[in-house]
Amino acid sequence: MSTSTAETLKKGFLNGLSVTVEMVKVIVPFYLLVEVARHFGIIKLIGGFFGPSMHLFGLPGEGALVLIAGYTANMYAAIAVLSPLHLSSRDVTTIALMLGIAHSLTVETPITKKTGVSASFMLLVRIVLSLLSGMALNLIWKLF
Amino acid sequence: MEIILTSLFGALRLCAMLFCIIVPLTMFYEFVKSRQAALAAQERTFMGLSGKGLIPLVTGIIIGITYGAGVIIHSIRSTDIDKDEAFLILLYLSVCHAMIEDTLIFVVIGANGLILIGARFFLATLLTYAVYRVRLHRRR
Repeated sequence: MSTSTAETLKKGFLNGLSVTVEMVKVIVPFYLLVEVARHFGIIKLIGGFFGPSMHLFGLPGEGALVLIAGYTANMYAAIAVLSPLHLSSRDVTTIALMLGIAHSLTVETPITKKTGVSASFMLLVRIVLSLLSGMALNLIWKLF
Repeated sequence: MEIILTSLFGALRLCAMLFCIIVPLTMFYEFVKSRQAALAAQERTFMGLSGKGLIPLVTGIIIGITYGAGVIIHSIRSTDIDKDEAFLILLYLSVCHAMIEDTLIFVVIGANGLILIGARFFLATLLTYAVYRVRLHRRR
């Protein structure tokens, strides 16, 4: 029993290492790209473009980049984009809730399909619910 | 040049923090996977979900869809979980999954974890229960 537990934990540790390697491959380039783009004022330009639509969620325009990275790529990409922007705790919570509900859609939708359940319906539910929860949380923040 | 060095340092520091979260979690995930038989024995129904349905549900909530995909797909296909139930499970999971990892990695950069967990459990339960009741109503 004890050896099998040790083996289980070892397998978990090795899994963790391989997840970390994948994560570093995603985070380092995204983080560098955003930090350098921010340095040259490019992020501000993009933020200005998305500003009006992000207003719905009470987020600055730059938030759009984080949402796009999270929806299409994965959570690590979103974090890599989010971290150098230094948003407030409030904004990070809103983004985290929206992305928590819908993220890595390009990876998770095919997995949903394999269980035999309507994947397009789930995709719709996730995106709609993600956007609605962002708006709802924004309204709740305004109360305080 | 300096900007690249500082941002590289920032990126690596972020990776190091996430590493500290991810490794204990994956070890915990393997442990949960190895103890799944105990869950299957539970006889309970809630929101139209049976004891067998709890395996993919709990796996998804704790581990997540991507990492827990093997277990979720296998347990839905290999047991007599019917299509309606599988739908409810996936509906719940679509809103509420990978709760530990997703929450912690955002808490590291300043999010409020209680709001994240509370809101997702609440939304998922509400949505699944509503769909379950609507279907029950239609069948009669």
